[in-house]
Amino acid sequence: MGGPFLLGEAFLLGLASGPACVASCGPVVVPSLLAEGAGWRLNARYLSSFLGTRFVGYLLFAAVAWELGALVSPPPAVRTLIYGGIHVLLGVVLLWYAHSIGRVCTHACAGSGLVSIGRVGKRGVSGAAVLGLLTGVSLCPPFVAAGLRAAQLSNIAAALLFFAVFFVATTLWFVPFVGLGCVRRNASVIFVARTAMILVALYYLLAGVAMLAGRRIYG
Amino acid sequence: MADAACTAFAGKTPPRTWSRALLLTLPIALWSLFMSLRGLMQPDRSLQIASALTAAFLIALFFMMMKTSSTYRWRRWFFVALGVLFPIEFIHNVMVLRGSMGIPIEEMIAGRTPFCFLPIPLLILPAALTKTLVFPGSILPGGGMAGSGMAAMVGLWLAITLVVGKGWCSYACFFGGIEEGMAALPKKAQWKKLDPRLRLVPWAVLLAMVLLSLALFEPAYCMWLCPFKAVSEYVAARNTVGLVQNGIFVVLFAALVIVLPLLTKKRTQCTFLCPFGAFQSIFNKTSVFDIKIDRTVCSPCVLCQKSCPTMSLTDDSIKKGETLMSCMKCGACVDACPKGAAVWHIRGTQVAVKPERARLMFLYVAWAMAAMFGGTIITQGLATILQRVI
Ligand code: SF4
Ligand code: SF4
Repeated sequence: MGGPFLLGEAFLLGLASGPACVASCGPVVVPSLLAEGAGWRLNARYLSSFLGTRFVGYLLFAAVAWELGALVSPPPAVRTLIYGGIHVLLGVVLLWYAHSIGRVCTHACAGSGLVSIGRVGKRGVSGAAVLGLLTGVSLCPPFVAAGLRAAQLSNIAAALLFFAVFFVATTLWFVPFVGLGCVRRNASVIFVARTAMILVALYYLLAGVAMLAGRRIYG
Repeated sequence: MADAACTAFAGKTPPRTWSRALLLTLPIALWSLFMSLRGLMQPDRSLQIASALTAAFLIALFFMMMKTSSTYRWRRWFFVALGVLFPIEFIHNVMVLRGSMGIPIEEMIAGRTPFCFLPIPLLILPAALTKTLVFPGSILPGGGMAGSGMAAMVGLWLAITLVVGKGWCSYACFFGGIEEGMAALPKKAQWKKLDPRLRLVPWAVLLAMVLLSLALFEPAYCMWLCPFKAVSEYVAARNTVGLVQNGIFVVLFAALVIVLPLLTKKRTQCTFLCPFGAFQSIFNKTSVFDIKIDRTVCSPCVLCQKSCPTMSLTDDSIKKGETLMSCMKCGACVDACPKGAAVWHIRGTQVAVKPERARLMFLYVAWAMAAMFGGTIITQGLATILQRVI
């Protein structure tokens, strides 16, 4: 198992990669967070939901990849397919999310819940949780860097622990997002957030489809 | 008897005498001539003629602003000329340089795209976090990705912007002129009822593009949404995705810069898309100049609201005596108001007290900037045409 030195390395790697994590999750987190209600409590709930499932996504992906013997370094063609597929899914979920915001009851008596994008049984599924899961498995550059290092470890438990500590350190960079709770929400802010979400979704869809079709985005 | 104090407080400013208008034009005339000196001293005859014509054009328009005390219609001539001549000159240059308007991705990576101010808001976060400019070009030869040339240009933009705020979009932007010209063509708008929420779309574009630019480490707006790529320089398409990108540019240009301005008589690209315009609105808070409605005189006939090309006046804002944050200080509302209730204003002063003085102070700054940026572009555009003709 990893000693304190290894865990320290994971933590430092996470801290150093934090800005890149925030940058790559920003287009998903910021508009969807702004589209939720105001108040730091609700925003903290959004973030814990998002980060919780992002963590699950990390571990799931790492475990599956380890079992398949291709931890984070799948062949480029496979990686492009995974990347493209996740992009398409993110695009679809963001569009669904933007659509669901329009159906949220804004009446004073309504509870201040997170936006849900679907129903399982009687309960809604939090959009934040779905987005967290998808960004968790989206093979972003910091994730790949951590994966490459974890791949050198001797067993799956050590690799998962490495990922867990890496995740905790990157999460510190997400804490300032709670501050978005202070942004006053009115119809205009929600409209802007929703429209931004649609634009980001369209980009993800286009980029995802291009990747699945084996096309380069530029040139 | 209409005493001086009375005319200073209410009503429209009457036309000036020729001599007074000439006197007021003098500082701008000197500045315009100074700006044209470089062109006049070149051996190229086309450039000499173009420089002289530009200076005369700018001086004449300013003189008419002074003489008639109206702003919008004269400014529009300048702005449309700028909007039309910029692509002429730009396209001519890239055709001479590489024989195509499509810039290969390798050239972009090598930093050979000329500087454009539109992606400025997209550069801030990546620059702050990584000290790198994600703009694929330079403004001066050898400027490079983080060239000091670009830094100087951004510095100049910032200094001007702090003073005129979103006035940039009426006196300096070389993109807004085509749609302003289109909007001027029909007598009446065909589409009068526009969803007011559309005004918020530029903020959404700004938010999405800032975030995507940070995530992708490239100016996402330039890559995917800028309508003006259709009349300047687009990424050379080598596959289906490239064709889709260019298709988006052309469709947005045709819809927002040509068709919708004709139907609505509004600057639809500026009002419903441009993220730089939204960003520039923030600086209306720092600018000392703004437009106010004197509620003691306002009827309200909403003629100002109808004349505004950017939907920056609403019933509510008129009641409050102010414009929305998106006002680009074009002066159309002031000119349209029959009561003289819409007035130029300097922050911290009483509304409608000596509004003409506020207008003059704004116009000196704005026109000096117009001569500096727009004048150069107009000169080069004219010279390009003259080179063909002479
Ligand atoms: S809104 Fe955009 S395109 Fe329009 S004038 Fe301003 S910067 Fe130019
Ligand atoms: S409010 Fe007046 S000055 Fe401002 S953009 Fe509209 S017409 Fe122009």
